[in-house]
Amino acid sequence: MTGRHVAVVDLGYGDAGKGTVVDWFCATRPVEAVIRFNGGGQAAHNVVLPDGRAHTFAQFGAGTFHGVRTHLSRFVVVDPLALAGEATHLAALGVPDALDLVTVDREALLATPYHRAANQAREIARGADRHGSCGMGVGESMSYALAHPDTAPRVGDCLDPGLLRHRLTLLRDRLSAELGPLDAPPVADTVTAFTAFAQRVSIVDGSWTTRLLHAGPVVFEGAQGVLLDEWHGFHPYTTWSTTTFGNVDTLLSEAGMPGAVTRLGVLRVVTPRHGPGPLVTEDPTLRPPERHNGTNAWQGRFRFGHFDAVAHRYALDVTGGVDALALTHLDLVGAHRLQLCGGYDWTDRLPTGPPGDLDRQAALTARLLASRPRYAADPEPEPAAWVDAVRDALGVPVWLTSHGPTAADKVTRLTAAAGR
Amino acid sequence: MGSGAWSTDVYRAASAYRKASGKSAFAYSDSGARKVHPTLNPRGVTARESRDSAEHPQSLAITVLFDVTGSMGKVPRILQEKLPQLLGLLLRKGYATDPQILFGAIGDATCDRAPLQIGQFESDNRMDEHLGNILLEGGGGGQMMESYELAMYFMARRTTIDCYDRRGKRGYLFIIGDEMAYPKVKAREVRDVIGDRLGEDIPLRGIVDEVRRRWDTYYLLPAGSHYAGNRRILDFWRDLLGQQAVELDDLAAVCETIATTVALGEQACDLDTALADLHDVGAGDAADTVSRALARIGADRTPAVRGTLPGGSGHSDQVTRL
Repeated sequence: MTGRHVAVVDLGYGDAGKGTVVDWFCATRPVEAVIRFNGGGQAAHNVVLPDGRAHTFAQFGAGTFHGVRTHLSRFVVVDPLALAGEATHLAALGVPDALDLVTVDREALLATPYHRAANQAREIARGADRHGSCGMGVGESMSYALAHPDTAPRVGDCLDPGLLRHRLTLLRDRLSAELGPLDAPPVADTVTAFTAFAQRVSIVDGSWTTRLLHAGPVVFEGAQGVLLDEWHGFHPYTTWSTTTFGNVDTLLSEAGMPGAVTRLGVLRVVTPRHGPGPLVTEDPTLRPPERHNGTNAWQGRFRFGHFDAVAHRYALDVTGGVDALALTHLDLVGAHRLQLCGGYDWTDRLPTGPPGDLDRQAALTARLLASRPRYAADPEPEPAAWVDAVRDALGVPVWLTSHGPTAADKVTRLTAAAGR
Repeated sequence: MGSGAWSTDVYRAASAYRKASGKSAFAYSDSGARKVHPTLNPRGVTARESRDSAEHPQSLAITVLFDVTGSMGKVPRILQEKLPQLLGLLLRKGYATDPQILFGAIGDATCDRAPLQIGQFESDNRMDEHLGNILLEGGGGGQMMESYELAMYFMARRTTIDCYDRRGKRGYLFIIGDEMAYPKVKAREVRDVIGDRLGEDIPLRGIVDEVRRRWDTYYLLPAGSHYAGNRRILDFWRDLLGQQAVELDDLAAVCETIATTVALGEQACDLDTALADLHDVGAGDAADTVSRALARIGADRTPAVRGTLPGGSGHSDQVTRL
């Protein structure tokens, strides 16, 4: 790993193990900070410590257990209420000062109870056609900001209760006019809580990222997965977030360090998907134990498919490739009949297109929903052979393997991946 | 990825941020403030108003005044912690449609820096801010008296409440303390603290009668507080307020006691149903304290609305601990 910094991105539909990989980085090497560069409070990156303590990292970076600070960049949708809930849980696990480790860019959008209520009202109205939203209001916040860029509530507004009250009232009234009364607390209550957030957490400007990047090695922790990307994902089963390396590249360029990063793509030996949307390799008989994810009211079922090299190849294509892979859940190899899908019945490689052509993406989705997987002849019974099979299928070296939930279960395999 | 793993409750978040900062909710007091916060100063106040509005057409005035001297200093902190639960109970269980709550603090006009602090009637958690601005006295005079009579004077003459003026419904006044009142409302103290000019002092019983005309008044005496075991205090308040002088085994249940008292007073339900509601909202621990405290009050109320539980309180033969 020769890049000064590391960016950890999921090349599937999320849930591959970004959290455990980031935790391992922070446990084993000096890390200045973890920077989040997309998504928001709906992220759920599970980290398990060797002593059994476990936490689902949503807005705190997955290095928090090791005292590594978190920076929420302007690309993150910040949910102050969920941040408090998460901090409370971290305190119960023996990290009493987690909030001291957080900095937030004042330009970041806020996710509020009004976005959340609107998000849930829409998802309920979709009925059987759900998109797999997490019900946290992240996408709602992004779409509101697109429609009302100048009045969308942002983190910096929490420093000015009058302005915040005004913007939240406007938001609530606009969403209510569209959707009817929202099931959300009064604006004054939200102002109180958000103001307390601003008094407690360090709110910084854009130069902070530059400062961190010059101070030492930074781990960029992605959220969700490339296949859910707002522009390249399989529309409409996508997220309102850029899940590629795009925002990482932007932040590095702004800091005058373009390309100073090793890109690490995370994959599981199976391809999971939480909620609706294409999963070509889905196999209902494939039911490995799933410690962290279950069915929930908003996203629906947690589904498993065999390793879908076609879909992951597409992720590599749209995000411009990675330097190395981290392959997780190798402990499943041998315990379950795992297969590797190297091609579909009509192609081995999905066509990419210009970002933002949603009609094209929707047509691709329709195509995927009708695709059949073609599996390699024999499932590999050995972890090592699996690692080689993944490397060969994707043409990328596997640099890190994970054989269990903790940092102690990780093994590095190469002396170096090609740095940038 | 995933879902909302963490609570997004607005009240919990506010209190978590305050706790996390090592700052208590009583930032004003803890910052070393020495005098009454301007928003809580009763001096020159024409009236504290609880008004109906389009948003709150059925306003119900609820006032909670507490002693902030000596051992009672933890009451406001408990109130602050439990406030969301109190509001939640009142609203979600339908005890009151549009409760408006005013917080205030009582000291000793003969020697304290802050003999009387009075917030505003609020229907949302801005009341939290008033609580946060209260100056906590600590100390305590040790003469077993605080200026409760001065607070009652303010409530009697300096509040305007639509629930009474428009609908003939009394508001609720809860005084939480562990000492006795002075025998008279002193004209000099009224002038200095509130600004009114009185021709003469008002005897305590006179002001109690006056305040009770518009305010259904309760005195909550926490057991375990400095003088609580002291029969003299309880007898003093029983003499003034009868069964509405209530002894609480556990100070931590003060919010639940207030909510349940309002439920009984509004005839929203009977005591058993109210206690079941407490279990419902996860406040089951407080139910025993509340039932012991309110057995006398609950036993002679006939609920207008029958709960699902069988009526006939099993507690009517119990009296509060004497």
